[in-house]
Amino acid sequence: MSIDLSALRRGGPCCGVGAPLSRRSLFEQVSGGIYGAALTSLLLSDAASASPSDQPADLQPRLPKQAPKAKSVIHLFMNGGPSQMDLFDPKDELDRNHGKSYFEKIAGEVENPGAAGALMKSPFKFARHGRSGCWVSDALPEFARHVDDIAFIRSMYTTNLTHEPALYLIQTGRMSPGYPTLGAWVVFALGNVNQNLPAYVVLDDPQGLPINGVQNWQAGMLPPVFQGTRFRSVGTPVLSLKPEYDQPEDALVLERDLVRRLDTLHRRSRPLQPQLDARMASYSLAARMQVEATDALDISRESEKTRERYGIGQGASDSYGRRCLIARRLIERGVRFVQLFIRSQIWDHHNGLLDGMRSCAAQTDRPISALLQDLTERGLMDETLVVWGGEFGRLPIAQMSGDKDERKAGRDHNKNAFCTWMAGAGVKGGVMHGETDEIGLASVKDRVGVPDWHATILHLLGLPYERVTYHHHGLEERLTGQEPARVVREILA
Amino acid sequence: MLAGVIGIAAAAAVAPPSPESGSAAISLLGSRCGACHAARGGKGGLNLSSPAGIAAGGISGPVVTPGKPADSRLLTMIESGKMPPGGRLPAAEIRRIRDWIAAGSPGLPKESGPRITQHQIIPIMYLRCAPCHGGRRKEAGLDLRTPAGMRAGGKSGPAIVPGKPEESRLLKRVHAGEMPPPRMVVAVSVKPMEPGEIRLMEDWIRLGAPEVEIAADVQTREPDPLVADKDRLFWAFQAPKRPTVPALPPGARTTNPIDAFLLKGLKARGLDFSPEADRRELIRRVTLDLTGLPPTPDDVKAYLADAAPGAYERVVDRLLASPRYGEQWGRRWLDLAGYSDSEGIQESDPIRPYGWRYRDYVVRSLNADKPYDRFLLEQIAGDELYDYARAPEITSEIADSLIATAFLRQVPDATFANITNFVPDRLDIIGDEMQVLSSSVMGLTMKCARCHDHKFDPIPQRDYYRLLAVFKGAFDEHDWLTNYDGERPEEGPIAIRDLPYAPTAEVRAWRERETARRVEVERVKAALKAAEQAARSRIPAAGDEADLKKRDAEYARAATDAAAALKGLDARREAVPRIRALWDRGEPSPTYLLRRGDYLKPGPLLGPGVPSVLTDGRTPLDIRPPFPGARSTGRRLAFARWLTQPGQPLTARVIVNRIWKWRFGRGIVATVDNFGKMGARPTHPELLDWLATTLSSPEYGWRLKPLHRLMVTSRAYRQSSRTTAEAVRRDPDNRWLGRMPLRRMDAEELHDTLLQVVGELDVTPGGPSDPIEVREDGMVTVARTARGWRRALYGTHRRKQPITLLEAFDRPQMNPNCTERPESTVAPQALQLMNSERVNTLAASFARRVRSVAGGAGVGEQIQVAFELALGRPPSGEEAAAAITAIGRWSSAPAPAVGRAAVDPLHRFCHALLNSAGFLYVD
Repeated sequence: MSIDLSALRRGGPCCGVGAPLSRRSLFEQVSGGIYGAALTSLLLSDAASASPSDQPADLQPRLPKQAPKAKSVIHLFMNGGPSQMDLFDPKDELDRNHGKSYFEKIAGEVENPGAAGALMKSPFKFARHGRSGCWVSDALPEFARHVDDIAFIRSMYTTNLTHEPALYLIQTGRMSPGYPTLGAWVVFALGNVNQNLPAYVVLDDPQGLPINGVQNWQAGMLPPVFQGTRFRSVGTPVLSLKPEYDQPEDALVLERDLVRRLDTLHRRSRPLQPQLDARMASYSLAARMQVEATDALDISRESEKTRERYGIGQGASDSYGRRCLIARRLIERGVRFVQLFIRSQIWDHHNGLLDGMRSCAAQTDRPISALLQDLTERGLMDETLVVWGGEFGRLPIAQMSGDKDERKAGRDHNKNAFCTWMAGAGVKGGVMHGETDEIGLASVKDRVGVPDWHATILHLLGLPYERVTYHHHGLEERLTGQEPARVVREILA
Repeated sequence: MLAGVIGIAAAAAVAPPSPESGSAAISLLGSRCGACHAARGGKGGLNLSSPAGIAAGGISGPVVTPGKPADSRLLTMIESGKMPPGGRLPAAEIRRIRDWIAAGSPGLPKESGPRITQHQIIPIMYLRCAPCHGGRRKEAGLDLRTPAGMRAGGKSGPAIVPGKPEESRLLKRVHAGEMPPPRMVVAVSVKPMEPGEIRLMEDWIRLGAPEVEIAADVQTREPDPLVADKDRLFWAFQAPKRPTVPALPPGARTTNPIDAFLLKGLKARGLDFSPEADRRELIRRVTLDLTGLPPTPDDVKAYLADAAPGAYERVVDRLLASPRYGEQWGRRWLDLAGYSDSEGIQESDPIRPYGWRYRDYVVRSLNADKPYDRFLLEQIAGDELYDYARAPEITSEIADSLIATAFLRQVPDATFANITNFVPDRLDIIGDEMQVLSSSVMGLTMKCARCHDHKFDPIPQRDYYRLLAVFKGAFDEHDWLTNYDGERPEEGPIAIRDLPYAPTAEVRAWRERETARRVEVERVKAALKAAEQAARSRIPAAGDEADLKKRDAEYARAATDAAAALKGLDARREAVPRIRALWDRGEPSPTYLLRRGDYLKPGPLLGPGVPSVLTDGRTPLDIRPPFPGARSTGRRLAFARWLTQPGQPLTARVIVNRIWKWRFGRGIVATVDNFGKMGARPTHPELLDWLATTLSSPEYGWRLKPLHRLMVTSRAYRQSSRTTAEAVRRDPDNRWLGRMPLRRMDAEELHDTLLQVVGELDVTPGGPSDPIEVREDGMVTVARTARGWRRALYGTHRRKQPITLLEAFDRPQMNPNCTERPESTVAPQALQLMNSERVNTLAASFARRVRSVAGGAGVGEQIQVAFELALGRPPSGEEAAAAITAIGRWSSAPAPAVGRAAVDPLHRFCHALLNSAGFLYVD
């Protein structure tokens, strides 16, 4: 067993304020005398020239810069950092070396060194599946049936091994709060097909916000109209979606008209205030949402069979099943970006790996499998990109709980290797891209960083990552930061 | 690290003697690494410029394991290319170092002192033993916090026998698995010993339990090698210097120094102020800014009618004197403190019963214009200002100084549950409190230095732990006051963080009320008894009480009345007045730096101190007992005095910058909570320093009201927010302030303004937070009082149940605090205002009010009145026409179907007006 530990040294500082911010603050200092330089919006295919305020600030559909493969995205965000070597990346060496000490070699890569144990084999059994023979463990039996549609990226890595910065990075490309998320960038670039629903819908877990809260779907320096809108998947999907008082519909239509008229007059005497545009847009969206969202979120319109397939009404899978089904209904209606979250961080198995992962599987396996099948059957898979993954992976060594009981062992965070997958429009199925080392500690072959992953998603949407930019404080801000990224062409169809 | 220390000991014993001197390798290290790793406390606490330094290792432990290159951190860092940071060493040099280590690293001095000292053992004792055998509890008469205490032992004799681990009772009990007692550990929040810790103790005892005298590391004459004098030259670390106010350009139409500074910046770029805002806009802006509520139509009328010079200034003075000012301003301070009425984290999210006192303290202090230095002093070290425990009477000043300390009692805190009350949990809470302190008051990202030296600012990790040492008398992870200690049915949760030092007068009044209440209870009971006797004399044959009620209507009525009266009396029961506070308990445990922030990796012993870069780097903090006979350490008092002493570089700048941001929408330093190297540079450095030195000048005496007054009476503030394409093109971010920003009301302003406009605002200030009501679908609202609703500030801020309307408009969750609110614009805000039952009901109240003000006048007059009330101005012709048309169409609509609500045109119009942008936005 020989592992190249040099991979560990790649990656950035842990503070999340590296080069981009310093460059930005440099501009803060020097741009004093520079007037906001006129900027061509590269996103508008017909844009001629414009000032910064001519950058997109609404949700009108916009054409991508190149022919897209995908028109919309479902991001199944797996909070907490799912363990790659227990799901998709089998490691025989861990079986062979189970129980051997390894901690000393990777002490700097462990968040809780005090609890670090020996190398630990996976408690799950792996098998090859489908025609492609992709590996999936028996933790996810339902999902395993779909591997021929899936492109696994087994060589992901990130740059911080704690949740908050790693979450910021995977959502926004930076390790600190205040930047637009992937979803915000996408709807900034492409707008929305459906003008009656938000472009960027977040289906968070009714049981609680994820770590970093609403900053997981913030618009950062982009206009607020691009931030994610939370829909609840139980009870009233959006609080006060419909009038909670009894008035005839035509009276309310009249009232909305009056508000719009007053707002138009208000704005006319206050030109050049983008907030007022956003405010009017939010009101008209709210009015249209009343009708359309009510319908989109009403899963009672689905057949019993469909709901059952998603695991709705079946204990552990009910909640996530609802969100998956709603995601499909939203995508069907032309919502650009749907992001699903799951209770604070269910995949964060510092201990109780076996039981914990079984529980995660019970919550998500069936719903995700149903979603993939449903999208395929409805022909939506040809224009929808489904993305699955968390913020980092887990270590090959055990993390021991206080009582050192091996059966309760978990795995600590691992920034050097994790696995994500994509499926759907433009994605080659049955692919296992990249490799980790023999024990799954670090990705070593065809490494894919978070900016590469972002660039790949943008590419599939017809958006060259370097051209999705926003002029801000004298800097062309973009999702991937200022360094070049690489589209993972190997997984493209 | 523990294993590493033993590793060295074992390896050193077997290392073969080497004929080589090793001087080549040692001098190589000196030349390649000595620039950063030099002298005492070099980077990583490592000195590679001398053989002794190499042998001693750094904060991460030993760096050379003689004879074992692969185990030598020095070599692995070099071979991996992580060090030196400038680029990999030539292969030949790496080989030389490797060979030298393989040969047993000749030339390094033999260890001079013992390899293990009490300073590796004491942290283990605190972690594993002292909760029961320490300061507060001395089970079996045993105090294991010091080597002396271990030797002295307890009832069963000495705990350790130096040189003889096998005879040491402490080790025997540990080996036997009896200590820490497995069944007790959760109850006292102790985790079992790590094997490495046991081995370390064995080795230490075997060595004879050696002790070395090490003074806690505080700032001394010897400068911190990580903080150079050139670091102190950074603008934010230099004391603000009072600049000369620039000359005003001709025709400036202002004498305000703020304008002079701003005009200099504008003129230099060929820009100028915008014209003055319309009077109606101005009074609405300044009234909302200073009080969080809009002007009433009478306020507007009076201002418009005041043609004498100084009319605007008179409005400002009236607003600053209003009790609403403290509520508005206080809310913003509470954001910085992270004020919440609940503990958070866990699902139970318990309520903090006396939390509201701090909120009221803040409002009270700001209304009284308490000087900011005093305000900080009380909040950071109020418990060290008075000998409250021995005071014959608790005056309101003494009580306030204790209440103020809840400033650092606001963060989410789940240590009320044993399972979330372990040392690392406590350290996280302390970390959050330090984050509150440093982000809100100091403008520094101190939290970065919790795990390592700050990457960008000259803040070594030891500065962070010195700050922890300042707070150790109150925040001691080894002597922790949990939030609650059980619950008693009569009193509710027993909050042991709450002191019984409410003002004597208040306690007396409470006792009188409680006594009167109890007397009343007795009276009601006696009356009922009498009624029963009377009834029984009327109906002697009656059986039990129920039977009696059935047979005697009079008694039944009396019983019902009495039950209702008792229920009412019970609801009036008040808990004993207490104060949620933070106080020094006089016996801080020693502070060890935690390597990588890991509580299992204690490093050097540190004493209290402030960030070296903010001092001359040579003078330790002047700590003395706060008053004779004090149990308190006086550390926080010394810190608070340092924070507000003349020439402190940050304190005044940070607060004036915040106030500036609240007034003008953007800080002079845009990153309001980071004045460090990664923060923004000030757009107007001279103005910032002028404001800071003005605030701390004798004339202002740290009073904030004059500062607010200065800002809002400036020509800059009185500008219109209307702008032109040219102005936007030339200054898109408005950093030179050639216009006032248009702003949306924030969450509380919107909430309170809605209530005032419709006539449902209950302005009763202070007291316990109003309960919240949670609807089945999750909608959270504040409960109504007898007179309407109180300001949002007084609604219970429960972390897991944020008030829906406020949350939709960006009221923060407080994790741990909020130094800058976002201003989002999203559809759920519209849904709340358009569709919620509450806002519709408020609109009905509004319509009633409009009708009553307009008297019998017609629709036109009603529209006029509604606009004046809601927007502070009459409608324009087009607005009035739109409203009249809509009202006409509502009026001509067919009658509703049976059972459906009728349409009240005025109600609908009022609802529309409350939903209009003109209502929500402030010009």
